[in-house]
Amino acid sequence: MPVSLNYIFKRVLLSILVVIGVIVFSYILLLYTPGDPAVKWAGNPRGPEARKAIEIARRELGLDQPIHVQIAQFIYHVFTGNLGLSIAYKVPVSQVITSGFTATLELLIFTYLLAVPLGLWLGIYSALRRGSRFDSFIQSLSVVLASTPTFWLGAIIALISYSTTGFLPYGRVSYKLATSTGFNPITGFYLLDALIQGNYAVFLDALLRIIPPALAISVYPIGVVARVSRTLVAEALLEDYVRSAVAWGVRRNTIIKHFVLKSIIPPVIQISGLAFVYSIVDAMVVESLVFGREGLGSILLDSLHKADFRVTIALAIYLTIFYISVNTIVDIIQASIDPRVKI
Amino acid sequence: MPPSLPFIRLVHRNLRKYRFKIGLSITIAILVLSLVSQYIAPYPREGLGYVPVGEESRRLLPPSPQYLFGTDTLGRDLFSRVIMASRSAIIQAFSVVFLSLIIGLIVGVLAAYFKGLVELVLNYLTELFMAIPSIVIALFFRLTLEAGFHVVIISLVTTWWAWYARITYVYAKGVVELDYVVLAKLSGLSPAKIIMRHVVGVIIQPILVQAISDLGSALLEASGINFMGLGLPPGYPDWGVILYEGISEMGIIAFTRAPWLVFYPGLFILLTTLGFTLLADPLREDLDPRLRRRWKLWF
Repeated sequence: MPVSLNYIFKRVLLSILVVIGVIVFSYILLLYTPGDPAVKWAGNPRGPEARKAIEIARRELGLDQPIHVQIAQFIYHVFTGNLGLSIAYKVPVSQVITSGFTATLELLIFTYLLAVPLGLWLGIYSALRRGSRFDSFIQSLSVVLASTPTFWLGAIIALISYSTTGFLPYGRVSYKLATSTGFNPITGFYLLDALIQGNYAVFLDALLRIIPPALAISVYPIGVVARVSRTLVAEALLEDYVRSAVAWGVRRNTIIKHFVLKSIIPPVIQISGLAFVYSIVDAMVVESLVFGREGLGSILLDSLHKADFRVTIALAIYLTIFYISVNTIVDIIQASIDPRVKI
Repeated sequence: MPPSLPFIRLVHRNLRKYRFKIGLSITIAILVLSLVSQYIAPYPREGLGYVPVGEESRRLLPPSPQYLFGTDTLGRDLFSRVIMASRSAIIQAFSVVFLSLIIGLIVGVLAAYFKGLVELVLNYLTELFMAIPSIVIALFFRLTLEAGFHVVIISLVTTWWAWYARITYVYAKGVVELDYVVLAKLSGLSPAKIIMRHVVGVIIQPILVQAISDLGSALLEASGINFMGLGLPPGYPDWGVILYEGISEMGIIAFTRAPWLVFYPGLFILLTTLGFTLLADPLREDLDPRLRRRWKLWF
């Protein structure tokens, strides 16, 4: 099903406009919130080197130039990933951000690979048995879980894990184990790296540490996907084509698999994409404070405590770009599956 | 007819529903608690964040008749802190939703009513602000402003109004093309009156219901921001802050050594959010004909 190039072009153009808007917005925040922008950019330096650092920051930002030139320069720097050295970590900002993204994405992708199929199954199953005990149980459970703060749930899961097995899920992998077995991260996705290197001890350890936060984060996508697919299946079952199929004597499983499931996949993809971007913030909160994993959350907190303004602003901008990209990709995927979508 | 009247009727119609009753009682209980907590709290000063005299001997005591929920890392009575935090929860949830609702309504209706450039620009702005995660805005404000309510509220409103603008736009778009609105325009009624009476008045109900159910999400998100230490200052009676203090000072050991520190504030967030959700769900079902549809399956 070819999606028109025109649609893709329009959608991408809109996204780029939004991204540029966000960059301009954050630059304006940098300039016009209280405090000297150069001081903020240099990370509130103190001591004898302070004056020099502020001068350098002033030149980097080009504060002596007219504002449109500054903004154009800033946008250029963002797109080329060149925002200077991180003040707290002493490595390029882009490197800090990349390592954070891989860590958080590993957690999120792991979560969603489990959560979306499970949610879909729950939704379809309860739609087919609407009004049954299973259905109403899932319904009430989803209402309660949707009201649960993710970070609190994570804490409870950690507590249960500790009190039943004595295992406290902390960090991404045990460093003692990683160094003793010569584990060497290549991609930054530890699970993948351990598998590639055939290091099953590290793989198992990383898996045990990723499951508890993933459980806490998965509550939201499971609930959303289950609720949406339940409604969609229930509506699809009332459609005329299902009635015709029943009249023709098509078997029930065939109807569900070939007609109903096919019609609900595009909206489920879209809602999963929306949930995914929402879960990023969830993951940031849960992974850093509750489970002590490195990732976007810990970078955010670190950069804030060390007044590393560059990392903070870069994190904000790249996070937003990531948000928008996921949304755009989901829209385009949906448009290519579902012929009804028109911009 | 003023727009609020159908809404009151809607609430009245749902009063006897079981879920609605539970939701209403939880909401009222929390509202009352937020008003009277400072009078019924056994240690009101500690509830506000003051560290008591002789705190060393009172640190991390488990729940007992004297300290119902135990004490925290600074020896403060957790019960006082938790119940006094209900006020901050109510303030944050209601002001975020109310402000977002007002801004979103205005932007959405204007975009739908005045077509052309206004529509284009307002929709672009909506899209723009929808795309920014609220935690990012909180981060910006936290970098530049003092900690406080305004950080939480502004950062949530900055992103939330766009959702109301979007749903208002979608509903209003369906209404402005209808004959009676066109006729009202032709008869020379002023745009302000048409918008208030014939557009907003017609579409307000589902949006209000959405707002009620969003109170819970607003509370969850505000708690998340406070839990990250981005919003209210340390020591402030707020459930997110209390959780943050428990976990940030002791690390993950907090769960194992003093589970009450983590358990009670989270439980109150859960209950309050649940209350708002249970309040809104029956109303939503009532309004949305698709959810009410008779279920007659072919197999």
